Amino acid sequence: MGRARLVCRLAAKDLRHHRAEAALLLLAIVAATATLTVGLALHGVTSNPYAATRADTKGPDVVAVEMARPGGPSQLTALEHARGVTGYSGPYLLAFPTSLEADGHSDPVMAEGRATAAAPVDQPKLVSGRWVGHGGVVVERSLADLLGLKVGESVRLGNDGTYGTPAGPGSMRRFEVVGIAVTAALQPSSVATYMHPTGFPEPGLVWVTRSAAAELARVDGGPFAYTLNLKLADAAAAPAFVTAHETNVVSLTSWQSMSARAGYIVSVEREILLTASWLLGLLALASVALLVGGRMEQRTRRVGLLKAVGATPKLVTSVLLGEQLALALAAAALGLVIGWLASPLFTNPGASLVGAPGSPALDVSTIAIVIAAAVAIALVATFVPAIRAARRSTVRALADAPRQPRRGRLSIAVSSRLPVPLLLGMRIASRRRRRALLSATSIAITVGALVAVLMFREQTHFVETAGGLYRFGGPGDPLWERAATVMLVFTVALVALALVNAIFVTWATVQDARHAMALDRALGSSPEQVTLAVVAAQLLSALPGAFAGVPMGIALYIVAGRHTPSAPSPLSLVAVVLLTLVAVAALTAIPARIGARQSVAEVLRAETA
Amino acid sequence: MNAPMNQSDGELERAPVREPYRAGEEPLVRARRLSKRYGKGDGLVRAVDEVDLEVAAGEAVAVMGPSGCGKSTLLHLLGGLDRPSDGELWLGDRRIDQLSERKLAEMRRHDVGFVFQAFHLMDELTAQENVELPALLAGRSPRQARRRARALLEEVGLADRARHLPCALSGGQRQRVAIARALANEPRLVLADEPTGNLDSTATLEVLRLFERLHARGLTLVIVTHDERIAATADRLVSMRDGAFVDEMPLVGGTRGRLADLVGLGG
Amino acid sequence: MQQEVVLAMLAKEPSQGYQLRARLDEALGPLGESINAGQIYVTLGRLEKAGLVVREGAPTDRSDRSDRKVYELTPAGQARVTEWLSEVNWPKPDLAEFHLKLVAAAAAGLADPISIIDLQRRELLRLLRDVQREAMNEQEASDSGLLLEGIVLRLQADLRFLEACERAWTDRRRHL
Ligand SMILES: Nc1ncnc2c1ncn2[C@@H]1O[C@H](COP(=O)(O)OP(=O)(O)OP(=O)(O)O)[C@@H](O)[C@H]1O
Ligand SMILES: [Mg+2]
Repeated sequence: MGRARLVCRLAAKDLRHHRAEAALLLLAIVAATATLTVGLALHGVTSNPYAATRADTKGPDVVAVEMARPGGPSQLTALEHARGVTGYSGPYLLAFPTSLEADGHSDPVMAEGRATAAAPVDQPKLVSGRWVGHGGVVVERSLADLLGLKVGESVRLGNDGTYGTPAGPGSMRRFEVVGIAVTAALQPSSVATYMHPTGFPEPGLVWVTRSAAAELARVDGGPFAYTLNLKLADAAAAPAFVTAHETNVVSLTSWQSMSARAGYIVSVEREILLTASWLLGLLALASVALLVGGRMEQRTRRVGLLKAVGATPKLVTSVLLGEQLALALAAAALGLVIGWLASPLFTNPGASLVGAPGSPALDVSTIAIVIAAAVAIALVATFVPAIRAARRSTVRALADAPRQPRRGRLSIAVSSRLPVPLLLGMRIASRRRRRALLSATSIAITVGALVAVLMFREQTHFVETAGGLYRFGGPGDPLWERAATVMLVFTVALVALALVNAIFVTWATVQDARHAMALDRALGSSPEQVTLAVVAAQLLSALPGAFAGVPMGIALYIVAGRHTPSAPSPLSLVAVVLLTLVAVAALTAIPARIGARQSVAEVLRAETA
Repeated sequence: MNAPMNQSDGELERAPVREPYRAGEEPLVRARRLSKRYGKGDGLVRAVDEVDLEVAAGEAVAVMGPSGCGKSTLLHLLGGLDRPSDGELWLGDRRIDQLSERKLAEMRRHDVGFVFQAFHLMDELTAQENVELPALLAGRSPRQARRRARALLEEVGLADRARHLPCALSGGQRQRVAIARALANEPRLVLADEPTGNLDSTATLEVLRLFERLHARGLTLVIVTHDERIAATADRLVSMRDGAFVDEMPLVGGTRGRLADLVGLGG
Repeated sequence: MQQEVVLAMLAKEPSQGYQLRARLDEALGPLGESINAGQIYVTLGRLEKAGLVVREGAPTDRSDRSDRKVYELTPAGQARVTEWLSEVNWPKPDLAEFHLKLVAAAAAGLADPISIIDLQRRELLRLLRDVQREAMNEQEASDSGLLLEGIVLRLQADLRFLEACERAWTDRRRHL
């Protein structure tokens, strides 16, 4: 009991004494765990959205479509009782292309006429609102997201003359959006291609009542189609069923090919999401490594100190463990909350994919993984110094100043020819190579991501879809804009983390070079020179990082985008590199200045104590 | 005074040799009611309490006193490493207690050399590089700095150790390197804070000899020490207690005739 | 100058007065300056009278200049030297006198013990300064250097004693 109290007291004292450092470590672990949370949440979203949606909406195994004149389908109904079919819904009238007008914008959609009762096959799942009724329209979620439609808003459907047939008076009718839903039934490519030879790869889909659909089909003057959703006894045999029953009047799509097509559509965003979450994870890891690494050195000394005053290794280890665990768990909790709050920011576009099952939830396994990661960090941060200090004799652990700085013979020789801030900066930078490497990596990742984003924005892409080669790119293309938004959000997160990293590194450098800096000042360098020196030291490692980031970004873009881009414009590359360096300089100046302003007398006094 | 004048290096000989201290000369350091306080209320510490001090050019002053009486603080104030809470401080004809950080840094660079008890050498620099550093900071060319450092190391008898890192040097050798470093920019004033505090008696003697020679060459010295031997090399001894000067005694003036008494050789 | 010292200096070989003097100078270094030549001859004369040394050489020697005379130990002189070497005696510092001076001064209220201490300290420091100067002029590891080092250490010990006195008397005054 008394021991536990002692452990807590010692741990609390130590934390309070190194407050800034503890706060930084907390921040780093929070960043890492938040990233992990978002990453895990994203993984759930993008891993198999189609299957999830299919299960949720009684998705059809085969969708059959027949182009027909008013009066009804001719061959479709025969499929209802074909061999192997165990259930069906439809045929439903599909009116297209129908104009949907909201907020003065008009977009082409398909309107499917549905019964108000639930269908046994392909019953779209409502995300919000209710199912179709008189004067009401249910909008497919990706379309609703795209147009920013909410339940209760009103839209107009009908023919506004965009698609060839002249619009007559009263050809647009007012509907109220009563619900938003998702479905696993994609229309066969023939319909999609007919609708948008070069545009949006999937036509927007809305559901209305049967009578409303008939009315819309009448006014739009285009072709009619009927669609029939089939459930087979053997879902795996769907492709065979399709081959067996396809005629030039009826076209069929198996759920397998629908799944593949849905995959195509998500793949762009999915790639962005995954790549970005990897990059974020790497950056967060870098900052944790930086801080824990620096802290471990200090810990080693502290273990020696505690041992010297008679604490047993067990007590010492419990103090350390208590401290680190408290930090790590607090950080994990914070990280989970932040990650959970932040994930809609990332996943909203993902969730609006055709077939996405809904917003990711924090499940038990995610929480467990995040906490386990934080605890692992704490354990490493405890046992490495504990073991190291236990192995060393007490005297050595005590005497060991934090890791001996390295002697960079070349940099010392070269730097003596440079002006004072560079002279000192180069020497500061060469003292800790691992740290310089880590910060260079952090900058390289950031610049790489920025370059990749830049290329994405600058270039036009062609994505092969089932509907043919689809030109993907440029503002105005909704899918492109969605992808760009995702990228922007991630880029902001990435840059924020990189900047935090830059501050960590500078702070660690300032702490570490305290003595050298105080000494330089005692020997007559001004605080300004020392501040500049620390900034220069950071820039020295950021510079190669930034340059390495450019080819890294291009490579990343090629790999993630799976195609060869044209060269990015040199001007924007230079701008990215320069801006990054300026940002690093500006950010590091703050901790550097704080460090350079410390009282020389006090630092030197503390070093002898 | 028959102190050794066996300067070994050409460059040093060319350096102007200052006149040894004579009483009544214009002081190099002048402090009026110099104070340094830490904390406030109950926790107020008067580390240096209204101290008046004059150090003439070429004079060597030793400061002694019990631990915690403010000796180091005083030295930091004199060297511009710390700012006084109150009082006035001149170096030569320049008032320095109000100077900006940058001006103070310039002053430290050119006019003041520090020697610390803990040596405070840069671990990753060789003896030679350590001695070069102040000259480089003062904007000398690398060649000049190197030449100067070589000469100084020769002067302190460590020419053969120039390429060693501090961890490969003994305490006395480290302190001699530190002294050489303090002299790198030909300061007018050298401030030493317990320069032999970490040394044994042989090493102390090495450092002592060095200070004697510097003093004989006319360097102005303020030495904080616990060691009577060091104090005895000074021209004047100041005793401090609780932040204030309690006694000042000149040590110049011979007693030579009586030395024999001390060993039982007297009449 | 102790007779035994001069006697012992002769133990190596019969010597003339100036040779003795040189030997002493070498051993004493700068401290040897305080011994004048006459002192040695006076001592030798006394020793001769006591039968501890004899003057060598023919009485026909016309020049009676004392520094040319060669002195030699008699057997009695030899015995005295041996005895002296085996004696254990160490110069005792007279601290009691100083201590009593302080006590008396304080008791009678005639003088401030602290200022007495300060005066003494100043004196010792000056001495230390001079001895140190001399010590630093000496070649390393010379005989006389060692002697000077001894004086320095002695003075340091005395100074520490004064420091202790000062602390004690300051405390005492504070408690009164
Ligand atoms: N930052 C500070 N805050 C509060 N008090 C301080 C601070 N720095 C020094 N002091 C106090 O100022 C007084 C003088 O300190 P200083 O280091 O000058 O003593 P010193 O005479 O050099 O002692 P020593 O011989 O042990 O080195 C001490 O009492 C010390 O506790
Ligand atoms: Mg001190």
